[in-house]
Amino acid sequence: MSRKGSGELRSGGSGGNGGPRVGVYICHCGGNISDVVAVEHVVEAVRKLPCVVIARRHMFMCSDPGQNLVLEDVVNEKLDRVVVAACSPTLHELTFRDTLRRAGLNPYLYEHANIREQVSWASKSDPEGATDKAIRLVAAAVAKACRLRPLEPLRVGASRRVAVIGGGIAGLRSALDLASQGLAVALLERSPFFGGRAAQLDQVFPTSDRASDLLAELMAKASVDPNISLYTGAEVASTSGYIGNFHMKVTLHPRGVREGITPDQARAAIEACPETAASEFDYGLARRKAIYQPCPDCHPPLPAIDWETCTRCGKCAEAAGEGAIALEAPAREIDLDVGAIVLATGFDPYEPRTGEYGYGEHGVVTLPQFIRMLNERGPTAGRLTVDGRPVRNIAFIHCVGSRQVDGIHAPGPDGKVNDYCSRVCCTATLQAAKEVRDRFPDVNVFDFYQDIRTYGRGHETYYEDTSKQGVLFFRWTADAPPVVEAATGDPDAALVVKVKDTLTWGEEVEVPADLVVLSTGIMPRDIGSLVEMLKLPRGADRFLQEVHPKLRPVELAVGGVFLAGTCQGPMDITESAAAASAAAVKASALLAKGHIELDPFVAGVDEALCTGGVGCNSVCVEECGAQHAISLVERREGGETRLVAEVNRAVCGGCGMCVAVCPSRAIQVEGWRLDQFESMVDALLTVEG
Amino acid sequence: MSNRKLSVDALVIGGGIAGLQAAIDLGDQGYQVLIVEKAPSIGGKMISLSKVFPTLDCSSCICTPRMAAASHHKNISIMTYAEVEATTRTHDGFEATVLQKPRYVMEDDCTGCRLCEFACPVELPHEFEGGLGARKAVYVPFNNAIPQIALVDLENCILCGRCEKVCPTKAINFLQEPERVTVEAGAVILATGYTLSDMSAKEQYGGGRLKNVLDGLQVERLLAPHGPYGRVLRPGDGKIPDSVAYVQCAGSRDRSLGVPYCSRVCCMYAIKQAMLLSGSLPLVDITIYYMDIRAFGKGFEQFYQNAKAMGIEFVKAKVAKITEDDQQNPVLRIEVMEEDGRVEERTHDMVVLSPAVLPGWDPSRAVLVDTDDEDGFVHCVQPKLAPGYTSQAGIFVAGNAAGPKDIPDSIVEAGAAAAEASAYLRGIGRRGYEPEPASGDRSALVGEVT
Amino acid sequence: MANETHDKHRILVLATETCAYPGADNVGQIHAEYPANAYILRVPAPVIFPEKFYLDCFDKGISGIIVMSCGHECPYPKAYDRLAKRISEVHGLMKERNLSPDRLRLCAICTVCSKSFLKEIRRMNEVLAASA
Repeated sequence: MSRKGSGELRSGGSGGNGGPRVGVYICHCGGNISDVVAVEHVVEAVRKLPCVVIARRHMFMCSDPGQNLVLEDVVNEKLDRVVVAACSPTLHELTFRDTLRRAGLNPYLYEHANIREQVSWASKSDPEGATDKAIRLVAAAVAKACRLRPLEPLRVGASRRVAVIGGGIAGLRSALDLASQGLAVALLERSPFFGGRAAQLDQVFPTSDRASDLLAELMAKASVDPNISLYTGAEVASTSGYIGNFHMKVTLHPRGVREGITPDQARAAIEACPETAASEFDYGLARRKAIYQPCPDCHPPLPAIDWETCTRCGKCAEAAGEGAIALEAPAREIDLDVGAIVLATGFDPYEPRTGEYGYGEHGVVTLPQFIRMLNERGPTAGRLTVDGRPVRNIAFIHCVGSRQVDGIHAPGPDGKVNDYCSRVCCTATLQAAKEVRDRFPDVNVFDFYQDIRTYGRGHETYYEDTSKQGVLFFRWTADAPPVVEAATGDPDAALVVKVKDTLTWGEEVEVPADLVVLSTGIMPRDIGSLVEMLKLPRGADRFLQEVHPKLRPVELAVGGVFLAGTCQGPMDITESAAAASAAAVKASALLAKGHIELDPFVAGVDEALCTGGVGCNSVCVEECGAQHAISLVERREGGETRLVAEVNRAVCGGCGMCVAVCPSRAIQVEGWRLDQFESMVDALLTVEG
Repeated sequence: MSNRKLSVDALVIGGGIAGLQAAIDLGDQGYQVLIVEKAPSIGGKMISLSKVFPTLDCSSCICTPRMAAASHHKNISIMTYAEVEATTRTHDGFEATVLQKPRYVMEDDCTGCRLCEFACPVELPHEFEGGLGARKAVYVPFNNAIPQIALVDLENCILCGRCEKVCPTKAINFLQEPERVTVEAGAVILATGYTLSDMSAKEQYGGGRLKNVLDGLQVERLLAPHGPYGRVLRPGDGKIPDSVAYVQCAGSRDRSLGVPYCSRVCCMYAIKQAMLLSGSLPLVDITIYYMDIRAFGKGFEQFYQNAKAMGIEFVKAKVAKITEDDQQNPVLRIEVMEEDGRVEERTHDMVVLSPAVLPGWDPSRAVLVDTDDEDGFVHCVQPKLAPGYTSQAGIFVAGNAAGPKDIPDSIVEAGAAAAEASAYLRGIGRRGYEPEPASGDRSALVGEVT
Repeated sequence: MANETHDKHRILVLATETCAYPGADNVGQIHAEYPANAYILRVPAPVIFPEKFYLDCFDKGISGIIVMSCGHECPYPKAYDRLAKRISEVHGLMKERNLSPDRLRLCAICTVCSKSFLKEIRRMNEVLAASA
């Protein structure tokens, strides 16, 4: 809302004789109004109102001649308030505000009366009633106009830097898009490696791209982008501030390895390490050392020390030689001032409980584990073996940890079941099944599903292909899920999957399997104190909750905080990338100018009236939840200190909840003040026709 | 025919929810945008929907603010009732020829008062109402259309001149000519949406001849609070239906119709409509015949479970044939795919088909991009990392033009296309708002190495 | 005036600018008629009005008030619940003053809810006619 026109805008108020000078214009709308409403009569009635300096009518107020009438009168008659009675304000309120601006008057000294949609068109058969109603509505508009105050759009200074939290596909995509618009980006990854969950994937549907290639492409761009600063081991310690002006403290945990370490030194250090832990990269299928590098092409391609496992025995430093390892490096804290925050904190796969579909038995793995097994550089070097024996029969079970039903499924640690669909597992499962049939034609594949949800572009092909390739499908319902048991007496298979197959008359079938793959769902990742720190709203499914799935799908109720990817809900890579770009474009629009312009219709406090009660403050804290706009501050007056409410106008959304609870009417929403409403009611009751 | 010239940073083709969102996201960054919409109003398909899943928000209430935001945006201009005829690449962008079709109403003079509409004696099936309601030969496209400007359907006009006589601004002009406008743009976004496969394509489902067999979009209008009848009744004879059936995949996942893919939105809109029907007709029995229920999005599965709990019947079945009995009741021949696999006939009062979602516009006629052989939608060259990239640098795609998708996914993709287009625009030296100098901080590099 | 009842009774309609106000416009756009005694004021969120505002309106001579909100589609988090609570509190205060609570009504009107809008106006007029 930049100021158009030239020179200072007049702010109205006390002109020569003290009172406001109002001009009123009644539109005929070419008969649409004047055929029903006696407009001359309205003009006559309005002219009698105090403050009204001039009242006119015109065939089409929105036309250039109509607007020029206003322009001339503002100048010649020194009007400082304007009322136009015409069609709905949704059509032309902005038009006339602009007319005022062009006339050199503050555009908020304008009031609109709706006498077409809400009078002439709605009271066609009652011209007298319509005329009376029009007079009363115009009188009410005049009454409000007299009490209007000049307003200015709020300008909030904003940092042109953005913090992106999470260095997976979504975080990287977002960072690149933000940087492309000239914004400085701090990309904060909590773990020692970028790439997130995608780094653990192999081929991805529906393009059969290698996930590692996709990541490498993004990393290559991000690492040379002058606008992007990359941080690993970065944990947000605290945040404060608000839209445009967040302040963050970030703890940088040491990597323990110096940047100049050579691959030979790294290898020697890892070999020398005596401590091991389950490899998170291989989902526990293999073990790794305390100093480790999940794969040769990880990002950055350096080892890192897992401080929880490391005993600081020093063997790695000894083996690697001078200057490669830094066991005593302290954590460091950095300060970041950012205008916006993009959350790309990702997901965790559902971890089945022991015994859930046989989980814990030899030969029962999750789909993420199985994807590691299929990888030629994975824990089984791409071979399908269980305890050294080649796999002959694989059973896939869908919806493990998804589409759970209260009362049937045991709740998780937080007492909740995952009643949502995890969206990606059907296609991911069929893609894995297809890969098995392609690479291991002798291996039989059985698929136990509820509904096959290959919804996306190119996804249905996997369903068609696997069906053609001889994958056998069995359908179950939530109340009769498949049961995985140890097989008795079958030399070829250690496990058996029993299910009531609804596709064959509900017959109980038993399928022998030596490998059972559980298609585990997607869970929101535990992002710990971030939720508290930023007051992040979460939905019943525990994912972060957008303001509105359609109107504002990548925004949080906390202004200036955006959502990218699976922290919001299950998504595949395509969808995460789209969400990340969408979040970036929103942040980039917000910070494009280096300041943020906001509507002036927000709460303001008359400190002289404020009694320092807590009503407004507490209602704002309770209800706005996300980020409250009102705080109580101390004022010193004549040696005494008293509390008054203060509004952070950048955060206030103008809902007005505080207004109603203020006992002294000290807090008001500009443009919608209570006295304005009251004067409107008075006027429409008392005006004489 | 005059030849106006316009120059913008980005040309957005399609003024549905995806195009509007992409335009707003570009405009908010200071880029100049032109939206070209072929229909006489912006709003696309979304503005005609009743309520939207899974929140059951009123569709109009969500769509109109976006329409208003685009039309009031100082960086966005809009041409409605206009079509992009051809696009060529120039040394620094694109040049498009846009045909402004004549409304036979002077846009600047029309106030949308509809006096012409009331005076017009011709009644025709209303496209906006899925052909169920009536419109005049001169008409404002629909209630909350933007712009609120009438147009004359000259093909069906009887030239009686009544509209001319009643128009208070003398805006009717039967001599209005088509106009060609040349648009220079740095980048193009395709947001040309979808259309449903025609019911006549499916001969075994009555080929579109059965009166009480409707498609999903028609039922959206039946359910809209301001719909053609103002209430739910079957169009054949005005009877209030006691039993309604939904036939899913009535065109999708069907290689015989050339549509092997899933149309992605039909499961959810069928469930939503079933819930809304149950709300307005408390006694109605609703059966949904389906292959798989694909309730995959955020809040969708919970929505589906609610529908089951409400008593809506879901039957996994193939519908082989639809005929009608002598009361015009549709008769379905179904093969139940569970239980005993029986084949049987079931009669309902009204049947709703979920046809296939097809591309709304073939861009290859006018824009340079490739489409996929498999599905006819715009080909995406980098679907994983840059979903909006097409085969032509500088041309991006969003929403249903790149394959079926629901409203949230379309809106998110529109944001992504806007991000991609803005990166491209800066790359060719076009800038939006001029920012204050950025202060990049590279003090800490990869990892924390000490 | 055309209708005596309507002349006596003035109905104040507080309509939210995102939902109910455009909903009222829609009624006009389809040229549906309702009595001319309903005066629609546009408000961002009716939760702004304290209890006293409603009581004062009745004291000043307003006969009936319809608060047309966005319902649960309210753009302000939780505002609707607080509004609903306040309205029922005002109902209590009205009873204390021998004002029929029927004269203050809270409803949700969407941008295209023309039928519901008309029904609300009609119902309030019936209430007022019956109490006259």
